[in-house]
Amino acid sequence: MSAVADSRKKVLEAVNMATGAATGAGTAGSATRNAAATAGKAAEVPAEIPRGYVRRGDMTASARHERFVERLREYDAEVVECEPEGLAAAIAAQLAASGRRTFVAPEGLPAAWLAPGFDWKIDGNLEVRDVEQAEGVVTACFCGVADSGTIVLHHGPAEGRRVITLLPDWHLCIVRASQVVETLPEYFDRCAIRDQRSETRDQGAEKLPALVTWISGPSATADIEMTRIKGVHGPRFLNVILVRD
Amino acid sequence: MSAATDHPVLDPALAPPFPMAALPVLRNVQLRKNVAHAIDVIQTKRARLVEEKTDWHALRTAAAAIKDETLANLGAYLEQFEERCTAAGGHVHWAADAAEARRIILELLREEGADEVIKIKTMTSAEIQLNPFLEAAGVRAYETDLAEIILQLGHGEPSHIVVPALHVNRSQVRDIFARTMGLKDLTDDPKALTAAARNYLRQKFLDVPTAISGANFLVAETGGVVVVESEGNGRMCLTLPKTLITLAGIEKVVPRFADLEVMLQLLARSATGERMNPYTSLWTGVTKGDGPQNFHVVLLDNGRSSILARKTERQTLRCIRCAACMNTCPVYRQTGGHAYGSVYPGPIGAILTPQLEQLRHAQSLPFASSLCGACYEVCPVKINIPEILIDLRARVTDQERHTVGKFFDPMYVGLRAANVIFSRAWLFHFAQWAGRIGAKLVTRRDGWIHSLPSVGAKWTQTRDLRGLPKQTFHAWWAERKAASQQVGGSASQRVGDAASDPTLSPKSGEKGGATSREAR
Repeated sequence: MSAVADSRKKVLEAVNMATGAATGAGTAGSATRNAAATAGKAAEVPAEIPRGYVRRGDMTASARHERFVERLREYDAEVVECEPEGLAAAIAAQLAASGRRTFVAPEGLPAAWLAPGFDWKIDGNLEVRDVEQAEGVVTACFCGVADSGTIVLHHGPAEGRRVITLLPDWHLCIVRASQVVETLPEYFDRCAIRDQRSETRDQGAEKLPALVTWISGPSATADIEMTRIKGVHGPRFLNVILVRD
Repeated sequence: MSAATDHPVLDPALAPPFPMAALPVLRNVQLRKNVAHAIDVIQTKRARLVEEKTDWHALRTAAAAIKDETLANLGAYLEQFEERCTAAGGHVHWAADAAEARRIILELLREEGADEVIKIKTMTSAEIQLNPFLEAAGVRAYETDLAEIILQLGHGEPSHIVVPALHVNRSQVRDIFARTMGLKDLTDDPKALTAAARNYLRQKFLDVPTAISGANFLVAETGGVVVVESEGNGRMCLTLPKTLITLAGIEKVVPRFADLEVMLQLLARSATGERMNPYTSLWTGVTKGDGPQNFHVVLLDNGRSSILARKTERQTLRCIRCAACMNTCPVYRQTGGHAYGSVYPGPIGAILTPQLEQLRHAQSLPFASSLCGACYEVCPVKINIPEILIDLRARVTDQERHTVGKFFDPMYVGLRAANVIFSRAWLFHFAQWAGRIGAKLVTRRDGWIHSLPSVGAKWTQTRDLRGLPKQTFHAWWAERKAASQQVGGSASQRVGDAASDPTLSPKSGEKGGATSREAR
């Protein structure tokens, strides 16, 4: 136990010594240079991070949705759009077209989405084997990012535990158009950290959960000759319904 | 997958110097073809995506600043990470070097009674040579990343930090899988190969209760850990086991969650030429009912704090391991990764490895570059790699200056001799006289020197040297002075003199040189 405490002290001491007294470059290690480097340490580090990158997009809502769909399709995800009142029917159609029967749904999934005529396993605390045997899964999401075609799961009640969107081979994700932001930083604005003092966060920001998963298309690999192959260990099929709410 | 005698050595303490290690690769036509093909694909994709990103350079600037701020206050951010991770139910361990990290990990595995473990690709674990250590201790490590499976089953070594089996082509993968998985009818279609890997690992994911991962980022503000991946093997290892051990270099920390909005826009585009990698997982401590209930982070120094101490070299630790530098490097393109004798190849390896080894090993790596600067141009965190290479070259040279071995180095002895000779006129004239006699012996009839002995051979191995002109400049100058005193200094006379002798006119001399070289 004492060896462990020693290592902590050793590493931190080495780090603090290094940052407290950064020496001059290579051969130019003269005393004056060292002193200047130490004194000027604070000045070397930018007081504020230059965040000159695009934080907020300027697209119209329809252009934003179009981009989201287009980028998802580039990842080989299948996307359909529907009106809020047509959602239940759209889900049923997707399930039927998939040719699968057994689906997992997270506890918080709206009852209207559980289309009749299929076997539903509702996940509260399903065994891994049960999840693995399901052929597909239906979930909601926290957010969609148009710029990179990314779906963000915060694993809330309608998004479910991480395992249910991992083992089944087919994932149907319902994204409401109002959840789609244009840029990645806009998603970050929707997340609140416990001791966050930044004013840039959105008013309605939700507390960042302990578990977050971003999904950008079906699982894939490019490990063989840099050729992108769809479907390795995660779901091989990602289907998305974009609800124009 | 060449002959066993060419098996690459990736331990910097044992690897031969870069020029020697590069030789077998340069002779391996298939390997060079595989590397060039993969790099071309990835470079094309990256270039297109970087071009569409209008704020690319602003993102790079922000990323460099975030990393600099982190590194300047690294101790404080590490402690903050430790505090928040612990508060969320994780256990944080500290390892000063590779041996300590290996010991900590083995102890944790022993506590679990684990005799097998599944792994997400982690170059840091390769850095500390974890797998052979675990095997020797009776723990079987299963790599789960496709490229890592190819290498593990084929007994290969990684040649790239993002796509470790970049040097292996599909038919070689087929052979490895067919042999080791007992699949005789396997084709070399990447789809079939990928499916084989899926089936091979599925049961392992469900059965093995302990996993080891690396980390792409540690978030000080939340105590969270980020892993980016493509295949879903990462999510399997992060979700299904009971125990998870994450090994992370101390430089992986970022101060705030919001800093990820910069880093994650840069990483996938730079690494694989995708707008975003298929899966990004972020977890903080343990969560009841979801994922591993025992979670350990091992924070590894292993030479990093010594890099931190040096002002110019500190930026090395900004690296987010995207591999864009190796993909663009003209040297890496020719030699592939194995020549670098380390799990970190390419330009970043050329600066990182010698520093992690505190210049005790891998001294040849800072010289394995043409200093063209392409790596600096693509680096998403703006590491000025050429600057560091030059600085390391100076340090390596300084180091050699203080060894006895230098007296056996003809280059050193020659330059010391030159130092003495050039500072005394009489010695210079004598050496010139002697040198001209010596040069005559090696100059062929065509006026060129085709091969020089000793260190001179380094020059003539790849190019010829023009023979010395009939007259030295000093002799010509003395003659001209004497002549001008006689004639009265006619300008036209002087010009005519010079132009009539091709060895004295730099312009015609150059022309002559070029012509005869082309003729050869």
